[in-house]
Amino acid sequence: MSKRQLCLALITVLALAAAPQAAAAQHKVKIGFLPGVVDPFYQVMQIGVEAAATDLGVEVVTQIPQTWGVEAQTPILDAMVARGDLDYIVTAPTDKDQMIGPLKAAVDAGIKVITVDTFLGDGDYVNGPVTFPISYIGSDNVEGGRISARGLAKAIDGKGIVYINSTNPNVSSVEGREQGFKEVMEKEFPDIKVLGPDYNLDDQNKATQQTAAVLEREPDLAGVFGTNVFSAQGAGTAVVNAGLGGHVQVVAYDATQLAIELMNNGVVSLVLAQKPFDMGYMAVQFAAADAAGVTSLPRRVETGFAIIDKDNVKDPAIARFIYQVPAK
Amino acid sequence: MTEPVLSIRKLTKRFGGLVAVDDVSWDVYPGEVVALLGDNGAGKSTLIKCVSGVYQPDEGEICFEGRLSHFARPMDARRQGIETIYQDLALANNLDVSANIFLGREAKKRYLAGLIRTLDEQMMLRESRAALESLAIQFPSLTQPIESLSGGQRQAVAIARAVYWDARLMIMDEPTNNLGVPEQHKVLELIRKLRDQGVPVILITHTLPDVFAVSDRLMVMRRGHKVTEKRTTETHTEELVQYMVGALDDTRVQ
Amino acid sequence: MARVEMKAVAEMAPAAQTLTPPKRFVLALSRSWAWAFLALMIVFFVVTVPIVSFGAVNFLTVRNSQNILVAITPILLLGLGQTFVIIAAGIDLSVGWVMSLASVLSALAIRAVFNAGLPLFPSVVVGFLAAVAGAGVVGFVNGVIIAKLKVPAFIVTLGSSFIVRGVALLMSENTTVIGLPPGIRAYGNDALVYFIRGEAGGLHFLAAPEVSGELLRRMDRILPYPVVLTAIIVAIAIFVLRKTQFGRHTYAIGGNVEAAIRTGIPVDRHIISLYILSSATAGIAGFLSTLRFTAGSAVIGDALLLSSIAAVIIGGVSLFGGAGSVMGTVIGALIIAVLTTGLVMLNVEAFWQFIVVGVVVIVAVLIDQSRDLIIGRATRGPPT
Repeated sequence: MSKRQLCLALITVLALAAAPQAAAAQHKVKIGFLPGVVDPFYQVMQIGVEAAATDLGVEVVTQIPQTWGVEAQTPILDAMVARGDLDYIVTAPTDKDQMIGPLKAAVDAGIKVITVDTFLGDGDYVNGPVTFPISYIGSDNVEGGRISARGLAKAIDGKGIVYINSTNPNVSSVEGREQGFKEVMEKEFPDIKVLGPDYNLDDQNKATQQTAAVLEREPDLAGVFGTNVFSAQGAGTAVVNAGLGGHVQVVAYDATQLAIELMNNGVVSLVLAQKPFDMGYMAVQFAAADAAGVTSLPRRVETGFAIIDKDNVKDPAIARFIYQVPAK
Repeated sequence: MTEPVLSIRKLTKRFGGLVAVDDVSWDVYPGEVVALLGDNGAGKSTLIKCVSGVYQPDEGEICFEGRLSHFARPMDARRQGIETIYQDLALANNLDVSANIFLGREAKKRYLAGLIRTLDEQMMLRESRAALESLAIQFPSLTQPIESLSGGQRQAVAIARAVYWDARLMIMDEPTNNLGVPEQHKVLELIRKLRDQGVPVILITHTLPDVFAVSDRLMVMRRGHKVTEKRTTETHTEELVQYMVGALDDTRVQ
Repeated sequence: MARVEMKAVAEMAPAAQTLTPPKRFVLALSRSWAWAFLALMIVFFVVTVPIVSFGAVNFLTVRNSQNILVAITPILLLGLGQTFVIIAAGIDLSVGWVMSLASVLSALAIRAVFNAGLPLFPSVVVGFLAAVAGAGVVGFVNGVIIAKLKVPAFIVTLGSSFIVRGVALLMSENTTVIGLPPGIRAYGNDALVYFIRGEAGGLHFLAAPEVSGELLRRMDRILPYPVVLTAIIVAIAIFVLRKTQFGRHTYAIGGNVEAAIRTGIPVDRHIISLYILSSATAGIAGFLSTLRFTAGSAVIGDALLLSSIAAVIIGGVSLFGGAGSVMGTVIGALIIAVLTTGLVMLNVEAFWQFIVVGVVVIVAVLIDQSRDLIIGRATRGPPT
């Protein structure tokens, strides 16, 4: 967390401390939490949401779609609105355009909306096309791509050939990561040449095959950026099988436990962690602060990233960003 | 008089309110070709399906080779030696002649005390050739898939298969349907050969010339009843037509 | 069937005997075009890859060939059981998800028994059994519903694929099962033979030589274990389909199921066996991916169903049943894998691969149909 963000959080908590009487006089604030899909990232966010709810004495109702997409998310959202007892909805819209209508309907029904991880419109709730949500709290994929690029560039001493292996074309999250990654390499590291992306279509074996072919073509390959853990796992397997584990640096986006295990086994070398816990915690803080009458909440908060490698993974300050989901 | 191979006694088969076969008794003797005639819906198919085990009669009994028989399934009838050749011939068109003759009863070679069993293609080919030769059927190649054969050749394969597997009563449903004239002659020739080898044949047909060409006796059904049973030499086309359309009926006369 | 019958009557004489030389040529082409296409494609990449890289890179290297062989194993294993099922005029849409389920099951089993103190190799064997047994149960249920309750295979396997997917996600909790003994990596990635290029090199069997640095880069892994296991399974499948009664009955059911029933083939039991077989080979694919990536994944096979069916169709298996061969499917899978590797080495946009595979699939069906048109369905059947 940056200093600015710390200040924000502090302000929020102070505001809350001043407000309990007012809140208690009305009723207990009730928040609906609707993330994108069942996965470790959102599961960790849920833990953050629940922790904040306990700390701040608000109530949370969580519904998680089984698949990613507007078709899965909208009916759950409509059902949440129809309950009639929610004051806030904290959600990760599965489409920045298509979810505007359904979420506007929630606002029209008197529910305030905070978006986490993903945003509506262009994410600028002050001057952008969509202004009805209170705030966007998340980390920018483009920024994540930039940070991955800097991490990888550092690991390969700022020179050589790197390769992007990605899941699918035209998916905003991985597209942003590719974009940020390429941008930094172009501007800041002129001695690094970027290849790809190749798209593995969520098929790990294909990621391995593609990376193996690139290794054949470019024997001097210095690094690989896997735009998600899956891609990195597939790519890293090709690297290890070519006898180049540790020589070719592989970056994985998202610090799932799998990514950390892959790092410990030498399949990937760097892991980029987002901060889903912070996103969830902060979103609930914002809701509680808004309920207490705070009007100066920032409309956009970036929770930032952490880069995890073998050296810092034991450091508790870093290790807390690993997406730890307690076993059921 | 010799014992009948097949003896049907007072057989009745109903489907709901419809009496498809009504109190029919009929004998088939060794070495004869008998024709079963009748208009559509006369009950000939139902009667035959009772004999071949597809249907079970509601009343009456079937004796085959002197034994009272109950066929719960078509396979039961086949195991006793009653082979039925339907119009679609039950051939797998994608497989070759020899594979079809041995379909479902493939010959196998055993290795490692029967742990591994492979198809004995040579043996099946040899036996198929012998079976076809015994009926004087000639094929250029037995490894051709059935779909490259003519309709008559397919009939021949189906007949050869039945003979090879020791058919002791052959039931043939419209065997000359859809065949050109030369092919029809070949199939009728095969039926005569079967008779000469002592296999009785029940021939279900609409084609009266076929009846006169190969059958020794005939039976005509109408509306589930047996309306007449005659030696083929004792009747003629016009009379048969009158039986089939109901203008004549021996049961009524009695 | 009726249509075919009529045509044959019209022709009277066996069609194959009346073929003109051009038709003979088409027939020969239609039988071997997939081989020819694969060969042409390899020649194309052998020529173009060095050109694009200014002579620095060759396509036909030992390492590349092994990469391609490893890459086809999952597609091939999914396509193998599918080949049997489609020859018998069925279809199994659940194989991709069954592979995912098997990956999760084997990972959970390996982790459980290894943590309980079982040594590594027996743990891996338990994982194999868990994958095949779990997958086999799905195949058994599919088969029973298809054979006994007469529900179309398309619908049954579509439905079961959703169920299987749900179960796999539930069991894995976070879509991936981690915490497996790192040692299993060797079973999924090590090879029978290692070859180090150059003067210091030579062949090493079974165990990778202890080398590092530049030598490591020059070391090829020849015949990785997943490839060996898959090759054994392919050999068994070829044998079963061509040489045994089981194979013969599979063709018979696809050619004329009525005939199969009437000639006493136990059709229901056979169909159930086919779906068990299909699931089991998918299960082995899931097991191998768990070893390969040292983790169980509930989504590993999701993307593979269509590739595997494409391989089967390119290989000449008729979707109407009754025709096809295992070698055809091997060729089909090779075509897809060679394309992927080749296009990546040419640095061609990845989307071209889909376009090419799509075109090849359609061409495969067109060639199959034109053959039927020209020679009146006179040629299909098992290889003799």
